[in-house]
Amino acid sequence: MNPTAEQIQKINYFSKVPQNLCAQIAAVVEVQDCDPKEQLLTEGDTGNTMVLIFQGQVEVSKNMMVKTATGITTSRKPIIRLETTDPPPASEPVIKPTVSVVQAPAFGIGEFSLVLDDAIRTAHVHATTSVKYGVLKLDDFSNIVKDNPEVGGSVYFEVAKSAVQNLATASADISNLTQAFFFALTR
Amino acid sequence: MTVDNSENQKLRSITSELGSDESNQTGDDFFDELNQFSDLETIQAVAEEEDKKAEKREGPHLMEKFFSKVISFYKENEFFRYAMWSILLILVSTIALTIVEYDMFKESVMDDVGKTFIFGGDEPNWLDTFFHTFWWSVVTFTTVGYGDVSPVTHLGKFLTIIVMLLNFGVVTLLGGAVASVLVAQRLKGDDTLDENKFNDHLVIAGWNSFVPSILKIIDANHNSISVVILVNEMDTDIMQRAIAGFGFERLNISHIAENFTQEAVLKKAFLEKASALMILPDSSGLLPHEEPDEDKTVLTCLTAKSIAESCNIIAHVINPENVSHLHRANVNEIVIPDDHVPHLLAKHVTDPGVPQFFDDLIVQEEKDKGLQEVAIPKSLSGQTHNKISAFFKFKHNWLLVGYAIRKAGFSLEDQMGESGTPLIRSMIKEQLDGAGISLTNDEHVMVEINPKDDYIIDEKHRALVLR
Repeated sequence: MNPTAEQIQKINYFSKVPQNLCAQIAAVVEVQDCDPKEQLLTEGDTGNTMVLIFQGQVEVSKNMMVKTATGITTSRKPIIRLETTDPPPASEPVIKPTVSVVQAPAFGIGEFSLVLDDAIRTAHVHATTSVKYGVLKLDDFSNIVKDNPEVGGSVYFEVAKSAVQNLATASADISNLTQAFFFALTR
Repeated sequence: MTVDNSENQKLRSITSELGSDESNQTGDDFFDELNQFSDLETIQAVAEEEDKKAEKREGPHLMEKFFSKVISFYKENEFFRYAMWSILLILVSTIALTIVEYDMFKESVMDDVGKTFIFGGDEPNWLDTFFHTFWWSVVTFTTVGYGDVSPVTHLGKFLTIIVMLLNFGVVTLLGGAVASVLVAQRLKGDDTLDENKFNDHLVIAGWNSFVPSILKIIDANHNSISVVILVNEMDTDIMQRAIAGFGFERLNISHIAENFTQEAVLKKAFLEKASALMILPDSSGLLPHEEPDEDKTVLTCLTAKSIAESCNIIAHVINPENVSHLHRANVNEIVIPDDHVPHLLAKHVTDPGVPQFFDDLIVQEEKDKGLQEVAIPKSLSGQTHNKISAFFKFKHNWLLVGYAIRKAGFSLEDQMGESGTPLIRSMIKEQLDGAGISLTNDEHVMVEINPKDDYIIDEKHRALVLR
């Protein structure tokens, strides 16, 4: 089953794409179901697909080196949870005060795959409730963009905005880590 | 509400004394401006509130104060406790025996004293009998037992048995308490200080000729610390003689005669509960020609910070080379005695009078006079400098010269703020916490002298006033 054009338009990357073109995108995406705890993306993998979350809650996490009583080990640290609001998750979503939850009508994950060939996944994504999702392949999207360049204009602009925001955050992270490094050295 | 009439007149007279008509005008303008402060009413209200608080602070009635002091002394002093029990036992036994054996003690007092009695004339009355019974009680209680008088009735004898048995325990405890006081005085220092007595106290590590003067100044400031622990290897007797002549009014001084560089010794001084540690060049145990070892100051600072990171450490160093080491050891404040000498010498030439002013201000500080740091009422937080200045002038007639501001030297947490990924920030905090590194560098006191009128005061400010 394909999603509707409205479902595609709820995702912020496609919000400025005209509905008739969203219908074209919807035609190449198939809605699938996944159970809680099922992995959608794995950190470090390469991929040419963008995952579109239509309903449910997913958790984004990263592998981190942490110091434990037994030494230094790699542990998966949750970064953020993404939760759809239109429609809301079919089952009760996970509530943990330590991880912030971002709510939106629908989400697109792995947006860089629409720009880069074999983009590396920068984080793990797994379902925390039952999730309805679709997969948009780079080839299918590229074909639509070839025929309708205006789709590329608005989608790539949103992807670029996301990339710039990520860059600013990464820059702040580097600054914080550098300060922490010198702070620790001078103590 | 505005400033009351007498204050108005005072202010007007001050401002009118400015001299010429023009300056009179200026003075009046200043006065009017001062009266037009929208918050002057607030300042007056705060002043009244402060008065009420001060009245409250004066505390309960004198009798209540006396009794609370007696009760606390009773709880703290073992010797006093047993002595009180002894007196009570003597009084109870006297009363009981006076009632039970009245006839016997009456006859006995007649036999002993003859025919003239203090209270009863020719015939002993109950007071004479009571005194005679009291005499019996003390003689029995102290185990002297003259035997000049003894109970006759069964009940009297029974009561005496109880008194003698109780006396056995109380006298033993009293003797033990006397012995423990004598032994404690013999011991070097207060080896086992009562932890309950120490909180927000001052620990002075090291001994030199400055210590009595330091204590004298602290003693004179009634709003300051009153509990001090001296830690040095000086003989307690010698140290007590050195400070005895000063007759401190408020200070409660204890002594630990051990090496203050050791962690266990600093813990014995309850450093984790102390508000400040002062490390001085230590002359205790040195021969007259020997110089204090300043490495001990650095080592003590490192040890102290590992025990109580938030403790305010003030170090006095003679050799400026040690300053960098002390900074690395996270000392809060460093005092270098020779630092001000070039300034004072030069000022004698460039601005004669200024060094004398400093002398009067600091060296010849009198009780509750001179330059002092005082708290600013919380309700004035957020006000400007000129309003705070007006408050101190109206309320206490103190001249506000500046502010001492307690600030963290550097806070990684403040520096990071909300920037970057929350995960990275929390990871940094977790990792540094795990390594025992505080995210906030030690606090330091910064000084703001005579700021602009619109300078805003927050709760981290304390006023520096000339009293």
